[in-house]
Amino acid sequence: MYFIAVTVVKELKRRFNDPGGLLSSIMIPFVIGFLMASVMGGGGASIKARLLVTDLDDSFVSQGILSALGQDQVADMILLEKVSLEEGDRRINEGDGSGHLVIPNDFGKAWLDREEVALQLTVNPSQYVSPRLIREMLESLLDLGDYLHKVFGEELKIISQSLESDELVGISTSVFSANITDKISGIADLVFPPVLEVEDDTPQPAGVSVGMALLMFPGILVMAAFFAANGQSSNFWIEKEKGTLSRWVASPNAFSAFWIAQWFTAMALTAIVAAPIMLAGFFYLGIGFEKYFTALLWLALTGPVLFAVLSLIQVLAPSRKAGNTISTLVMFPLLMAGGSFFPTETMPKFIAAVARYTPNGNVIEPLKGYLIGEYGASGMFSSLWVMMLVTLLLVLLTGWLSARKALA
Amino acid sequence: MIEVRNLQKSYADLVAVDRVSFSAKPGTVFGLLGPNGAGKSTTISCISGLLKPTAGSITVGGFDMASDAVKAKATLGIVPQELAIYEDLSAKDNLSYWGAAYGLKGAGLKHRVDHILNRIGLADRANDLPKEYSGGMKRRLNFGCGLVHEPRVLLLDEPTVGVDPQSRERLFELVKEEKAKGTCVLYTTHYMEEAEKLCDELAIIDHGKIIAAGTLNELRAEFGGNDIIQLTGSFELAPVEQVVAKLNADVLSVSTEVLMIAIQDGARNLPAVLQGISATGADIYDTRLSEPNLESLFLKLTGKDLRA
Repeated sequence: MYFIAVTVVKELKRRFNDPGGLLSSIMIPFVIGFLMASVMGGGGASIKARLLVTDLDDSFVSQGILSALGQDQVADMILLEKVSLEEGDRRINEGDGSGHLVIPNDFGKAWLDREEVALQLTVNPSQYVSPRLIREMLESLLDLGDYLHKVFGEELKIISQSLESDELVGISTSVFSANITDKISGIADLVFPPVLEVEDDTPQPAGVSVGMALLMFPGILVMAAFFAANGQSSNFWIEKEKGTLSRWVASPNAFSAFWIAQWFTAMALTAIVAAPIMLAGFFYLGIGFEKYFTALLWLALTGPVLFAVLSLIQVLAPSRKAGNTISTLVMFPLLMAGGSFFPTETMPKFIAAVARYTPNGNVIEPLKGYLIGEYGASGMFSSLWVMMLVTLLLVLLTGWLSARKALA
Repeated sequence: MIEVRNLQKSYADLVAVDRVSFSAKPGTVFGLLGPNGAGKSTTISCISGLLKPTAGSITVGGFDMASDAVKAKATLGIVPQELAIYEDLSAKDNLSYWGAAYGLKGAGLKHRVDHILNRIGLADRANDLPKEYSGGMKRRLNFGCGLVHEPRVLLLDEPTVGVDPQSRERLFELVKEEKAKGTCVLYTTHYMEEAEKLCDELAIIDHGKIIAAGTLNELRAEFGGNDIIQLTGSFELAPVEQVVAKLNADVLSVSTEVLMIAIQDGARNLPAVLQGISATGADIYDTRLSEPNLESLFLKLTGKDLRA
């Protein structure tokens, strides 16, 4: 045991004497995670379309349209900006905006009189989603306007005429009110269906809201473990080429001790590499820090299953070059399928099912469940012994195979 | 201290080591001399437990390498032919690690590391990484890693390959110091001068077989008291060989440019040799008379140059 501990310290010293390598193990998952979260909108910000509007009409009706576009839910998707005609044309030509809507002069009057009139919408061809969003929103608005006109056309005309004189023109207030009330009563059964109260009883996790970034976070942590594991697994070939493996075999220590030491080193390296990434993630995602050390412990204990898989590949390979090539070929599909690049929640069902059988998937899913509050630490650790046993068996198999190779 | 009996190591049809037997005693340096590919490193790999012999037995420090490998290995110190050091660990860390590999710890380990750093002349560079060292310094560190745990048996596999003269002398001193301490040293080399300078006993190995063994004097006796005459010039082979035969001498090697012969009482017979060879029409540029050495012995035994 003493020599295993000494070997772990030696391996860590070697890694710390190569700070560039260690730093890249931390930075690569950081960068990939940041890019992936940004692409998938994981930062919490949603896509907003910028709609430039030139209101040449400035009527009661055109203001109604602008007001409808500025309503809460629509405003979450469309950012409205009033501009002059020239500025609107210039900016949409420069690509500054998702669309430019021009409400022509006398639009309101024509609409009220049911005369033919057109709104002019110019969209930015370099954008795909936002212009479609604007177009669909406007079409819905115009349909709504059409129904409104059919029901309240006369009343709206009166309101439009009365705005200039500050009083109702040609009708008393009581008759006007009575007309509106009658019409609403007439369509009430169609417009207002019977009231149903639906209560959602699904238990919600306390504290943390589950966004895309949080779903991706465990995968990014395991990606860090993967990079640490990959470097450690190729150490067999490095030591063989350097001749230090021969010294090992010639020493009175069991060869399996070499691999046990490499495994423990992989645990320590996983913790070292994952700790800063985890710290940053906890801050960014607002995860309670009482979960920090438990999550780090889980990752350090189970993450090296990846080291065990990669080490076995390295030992089975005929050369270091072949080992690295095969490891890389295996590593990226495993990262993909295991949920490190994309959370299983975003995957097609059959790939998500595969993910749960990958070694990294078995590290990610319990960690994710723990971080989003699906279950506690005991729930996460329930599969620990299975993971550790699998890792131990893989390490011993690797040790046995490599001893045969070293003593050939 | 080392007993090798009928050691054999085969790879499919290739017999790398063929029924090799020898023994090396404490406080002596035993040399295994042979050209590249003769089987020296394979023999030493079997002794150190790196290779499993196909047949035969090896005992190190009284422990059988097959049945009591851990104890046998614990008595061994190894200096491999290739540099077996961590270039990304300081000299001090390298020595500490390999000391710990043999059970040293605490103050005892620190004392041994400091002692070895001084012996290999790296005390002032102890905390530097070996990748900043010269080739000779790396060789000395490689040597130190094999010595740090005070082994009773030291295996040196061509330790001076690619070493500068200064470092080579330092390594020779270290070998002599180990011998003086009572360590049994097994030394493989293809440099005859090293073997003559350091070894008490020798075995000459070629094609996996020991072709001669004994002390340097015993091996010289193989020549029956003959001296070696080496002539450099331009020769015609057939007449030269006839002259040598008439002089009752043995041709060790002959080419159109170099002739090497073994002859009784070389100093007295040299004029007759020169006269006879010159009479064949040969031009002689250089003449050397010497006692038999390992190179000439190897030539006599195998008919080829040891360095070839």
